[in-house]
Amino acid sequence: MTQSADRLTSPAKRNGKSALATLASNHYVLTALSAIAFVALWQIVSMNVPPIILPSPAKVAAAFVELTASGELIRATGQTVWPFAVGLSIAFVIGTSLGLVLGIFRPAARILDPYIFIFWSIPNIAWLPLFIAWFGVGQLTLIVFVFVSAVFPQLLTVEAGAKEADSFLVEVARSLGGTKSEILHIVVLPSALPYIFAGLRIAVGRALVGIIVGQLLIVATGIGYMFQFYGETLSLAKYFAPLIVIAALAVALNRAVNWAEHVLIPWKPRAFT
Amino acid sequence: MPELEFVNVRKSYKSPTGENLLALADFSLKVDGGRFVSVVGPSGCGKTTLLRMAAGLVPWDGGEIRLDGDQLTGPSPKMSMVFQAIGLMPWKSVQSNVALGIQLQAHRRNLTAQETDLVGATLAMVGLKGFEHYYPYQLSGGMQQRVGLARALVRQPEILLMDEPFGALDAQTRAVLQDELLSLWGRVKSTVLFITHDLDEAIYLSDLVVIMGRRPGRIKQVLEVKLPHPRYSYDARAEAGFAHLRSIAWQSIKEEL
Ligand SMILES: Nc1ncnc2c1ncn2[C@@H]1O[C@H](COP(=O)(O)OP(=O)(O)OP(=O)(O)O)[C@@H](O)[C@H]1O
Ligand SMILES: [Mg+2]
Repeated sequence: MTQSADRLTSPAKRNGKSALATLASNHYVLTALSAIAFVALWQIVSMNVPPIILPSPAKVAAAFVELTASGELIRATGQTVWPFAVGLSIAFVIGTSLGLVLGIFRPAARILDPYIFIFWSIPNIAWLPLFIAWFGVGQLTLIVFVFVSAVFPQLLTVEAGAKEADSFLVEVARSLGGTKSEILHIVVLPSALPYIFAGLRIAVGRALVGIIVGQLLIVATGIGYMFQFYGETLSLAKYFAPLIVIAALAVALNRAVNWAEHVLIPWKPRAFT
Repeated sequence: MPELEFVNVRKSYKSPTGENLLALADFSLKVDGGRFVSVVGPSGCGKTTLLRMAAGLVPWDGGEIRLDGDQLTGPSPKMSMVFQAIGLMPWKSVQSNVALGIQLQAHRRNLTAQETDLVGATLAMVGLKGFEHYYPYQLSGGMQQRVGLARALVRQPEILLMDEPFGALDAQTRAVLQDELLSLWGRVKSTVLFITHDLDEAIYLSDLVVIMGRRPGRIKQVLEVKLPHPRYSYDARAEAGFAHLRSIAWQSIKEEL
């Protein structure tokens, strides 16, 4: 009965690894190596095709610097980020809370689920003319479009998670005297947490598509419009600048979600690291 | 201490093919207040079902379950159940899991200083001092079982329902906890309904050993254990009476295997 906690601390570090193996197992090193390989491949391909098909990395970098210096890229990024952030945030809050409620109150879900599924199944783009008629050509339409793109994956994923709460743990909480709201707090919410993050990952991707498509087709501002403009004028080197911004945004958001998940879900052993 | 009584209780489940599976048929048992009663019987004879009903977790189909003479209507704050499958919250540390026993009994989030001390003392009693901040996945099976035990005991229950609580433990830990349980019971005299597969454990701990037959569960034989308490103060297992009871019980169980 006198087990001591320090017996369970982390296993001793393995010795005898070669320096190369250690270097290769560092994931920053791996990331840098893969980036170098990517740019090198890009350079090789661009030297063998006309610049109208694929501009070289150096040309793209120069265009990126030029667009940043002129302020165009930064302005466009701002115009894109804020309706995106507003639409996604509202979608996250509403999708998560409605998903939890529907996961728990199954009779309500049985009535609402078919409608939700129908809305989710309709291609987003089909809504645009309707939203323009309702909300005009402006920021509001953009926000609504981002919201509609992101809310359904969030809602459906969270609902699935809440539904999956372990009935045995609910029984345990009940045996200890837990009320409905205590059980929601102690069992349902924590078991739905991984699903809340899974939903968010999908919602972020959908919202990004939504904002770009919206700006391209409705308001003619922001990153979306840059794609259209530089695409149509065949200025390919400049076309790549907004692409880089969107890619960076997507990666940064995904990292942020991963990090939040790691911090908020410390109780799970990870099968793959 | 409250008494617990089963009167002609029937319980059936729906099998996967949709048929009725009779788990308990006309089960009657009176657990007098302050007594330690063990139930042994073959796997699948309805022992866990019995406890889940007594804990107010599942309905039954016929008969009555009475707590101190009143019909049982649901989970009671006077009771604690130790589950065979443990049921720790994976997202709560050892300490928080045990604290849950008090929080859900009192319906408040914050513990008083006294209650926090009680959580610490209970963890120390089950030998988990130093593991307060571990998550369940970082514990061995036996350690998890001890957390489940602490969560039940911290409520200072008047009725303790225990479903094979020591089944997953090594022999030494099991012996220590058996004695801890007996000494605790000697002090507070809770009413205990204890399920086990281990005949020696049943005889060592109980006033009454109930032997159940194959499903549908019913009582086959009830043995009274007259060895004096506290049994850890002498070598109760070496008494002639102990061996005698064991051979009677074993004979009876063997017919059900
Ligand atoms: N939720 C359920 N649905 C359907 N059948 C069930 C359910 N729970 C238990 N049963 C059935 O009821 C019978 C009794 O189960 P129970 O868990 O009470 O047995 P037990 O005596 O505790 O067995 P063990 O000693 O193996 O723990 C078994 O045949 C089992 O298949
Ligand atoms: Mg059982």
